[in-house]
Amino acid sequence: MGTIGEAVRRRRSGLRAGVAGRILDFALIAIIAVFLILLGTKVVDHGGSFFLQILTFAVANGGIYALIALGYTMVYGIIELINFAHGDVFAFGAFLSASLLPVFGLREGGEFGPGSAVALLAVFALTMLACGFLNISIERIAYRPLRHAPRLAPLITAVGVSFFLEGALFLWKGPSNVHYPNVIPNAGFELFGATIGAKDLLVITVSIVLMIGLALFVGRTRLGKAMRATAQDRDAALLMGIDIDRTIAATFFIGAILAGAGGTMYGLYYNTSVFDLGFSAGLVAFTAAVFGGIGNIYGAAIGGMIIGIIRTFWDGYFDSAWTDVIIFTILILVLIFRPTGILGMRVPEK
Amino acid sequence: MQRRWLSAAAILASFSLVVACTPAPAPAGGGGTDKGEIIIASNFPTSGADRASGRGPEAGVAYAVQLNSSIKGFKITHKPYDDSVNGVHDPQKGAQNFNDIVGNAKILGVVGPFNSNVARATIPVANRASLVMISPSNTNECLTQTFSYCDPQPAALRPTGKNNYFRIAAPDTVQGPAMADFSVDVLKATKVAVWSDNETFGKGVADNFGKEIVKKGGTVVVRQDFDWKTTNDFRPFLQRAKDAGAQAIYAGATSATHGCIPRAQMKSIFTTDIPYMGPDGIGTSDCITDAGDNANANLYFTNAAAEAAQDPANKALIDDFKSKFTAKEDLAAYTFPGYDCAKILLDAISRAIDTAGGKMPTREQVVQAVQDTNKLKLSTGTYSFDKNGDPTSATMAFYQYQTAAKDWVFVKQFSVGG
Repeated sequence: MGTIGEAVRRRRSGLRAGVAGRILDFALIAIIAVFLILLGTKVVDHGGSFFLQILTFAVANGGIYALIALGYTMVYGIIELINFAHGDVFAFGAFLSASLLPVFGLREGGEFGPGSAVALLAVFALTMLACGFLNISIERIAYRPLRHAPRLAPLITAVGVSFFLEGALFLWKGPSNVHYPNVIPNAGFELFGATIGAKDLLVITVSIVLMIGLALFVGRTRLGKAMRATAQDRDAALLMGIDIDRTIAATFFIGAILAGAGGTMYGLYYNTSVFDLGFSAGLVAFTAAVFGGIGNIYGAAIGGMIIGIIRTFWDGYFDSAWTDVIIFTILILVLIFRPTGILGMRVPEK
Repeated sequence: MQRRWLSAAAILASFSLVVACTPAPAPAGGGGTDKGEIIIASNFPTSGADRASGRGPEAGVAYAVQLNSSIKGFKITHKPYDDSVNGVHDPQKGAQNFNDIVGNAKILGVVGPFNSNVARATIPVANRASLVMISPSNTNECLTQTFSYCDPQPAALRPTGKNNYFRIAAPDTVQGPAMADFSVDVLKATKVAVWSDNETFGKGVADNFGKEIVKKGGTVVVRQDFDWKTTNDFRPFLQRAKDAGAQAIYAGATSATHGCIPRAQMKSIFTTDIPYMGPDGIGTSDCITDAGDNANANLYFTNAAAEAAQDPANKALIDDFKSKFTAKEDLAAYTFPGYDCAKILLDAISRAIDTAGGKMPTREQVVQAVQDTNKLKLSTGTYSFDKNGDPTSATMAFYQYQTAAKDWVFVKQFSVGG
């Protein structure tokens, strides 16, 4: 049983050995250098406060993508399934929280007091739980019966679930963009000429806290250990007395509560969502997961952050029309040199 | 078993043949409809996000046909087509619709399409069949006028060499610059940040807006094109606009291509509010929803057609329309332009029937009759066409959001060309 790691090492050494490999290496370094020089001159042109401002947006953006990417990577890590429906669970989170806000008295243009903070927390909690249970049900109904089927079968079911959820969201709030109430104050504080808004702060803090929480959970708790064991070798884990079904369900649940938080923050941050948001945001987040090394939670966090940063910096300093081209060009370059992504894949290939 | 199915099918087929051959009973009174049926097709994006744009003119056409259900012994009916795929207008779908339309001999004209890129894909299809089309809302200048930058050129869209395409909206060469003039002269904003959705229409108006701003002595401080399908994040652009001292923002987009989402996001970037302007595509109720708590009097759009409600003579007509078409999307900016296009077509068909000696006119005769339209007074203006198919005089109207009314209100309008 060869691991991906071995294959990679073989492939990389093969690449490095040839003259073509060296030229490729050189080309990659040259491209990165040219890009950094170009960015450097632009940064100098626009000044330091603009840089700091864009960096703030970039980290907030990256935080949201990272939260979604984590769900893809966790599910892939444990059952090697690309859960296409995950993006739609995220969109469901955005839709649900938009509807919950007024229920908890959070209205556009209303005062934001301490009571509102508690209400917002409740909205977050409820949305995250609802997303979690939605994802568990998806796993129970659409994936678990197919666990021993050929790998393509659950993949296609995942696509089906994704369309089903999109259809449901379409029926719920219609085809147009859905405006997300602007409930977070627009105020912020000045830092070296840049404005760090309450929204930026909220998104950055919540995403970092959740990611640290996830890392602790996976690394320190019994269930986290069970997840890692199941990801490594499902049969051995079963022999050790780990309840596989429960562990897998827990993985889906945790991935989805992160997506629920991401969906809520996406709405609060951009003030918009749409029924097929899960497709476009999911594609970016999935890319982030692959970028960082699918199956690896640190990789997903880093990949999400990097994609958020590239996207926002490109939008801020260069021509937005090329943003996606740039992201995918970088993805291709990274995958040529590191086929398993930045941090590689930790699960052995079966 | 199989034979029984066959005979059943045969009986069914012969029965339907009998039904088809039986002449429909002529309704009593009126003009009579015994000479046959003439169909007016319409082609708009009427499902999904684009329904907010496309349903208005479709309802306008349906209303015009309802009011004129027979002409000189012919029964007039309306056949609507939808060119949206997954909620967004689609040129291929449009071309597919037109292939169906040209194959139906009873269809003598089409009202539509709504979008310029759909027009570009459908004009050649209709042209080969000499079928007349009249659009209430296409504004891309390259559909009718020859400029060095046009690709394809108007002549390439008309393989037969003879024009079959008409429109009543003012081209983009007018809509963008009109808002630029408005920005500099009325709003006193000379430093403007411009973005577009990178589509034929959006980029066209944004470019023309920018050119006119420069011509008037102003500057375009930031210029960006967005892939609207993958981004909702306009903060970096807005921040750049703010840092560059923008006094206004122009969106070359429609509400479906995220035209008004930046408006909501402006609230957390701009401490002092600045005007936000766009073309007719953002003049929808969706735009107001998208702008959220930042929908205020600083929100403007141009409409490439006159506002029917501005003419008091139209009051009875509009009231009657409202009583028959009650859905939210039915009455939008292009409802009465759509109605007027159908009226132009009906007027032309009526004259073409005379040309044909009271018989079913040919499609060529209808094209000629539309071309010959002479100062026809309708709800949104008085129409004649030049040889390119453009209206000889078009009206440009300006709208502003009004918080008290919670809706777009008319600011002013003026005639261009002529």
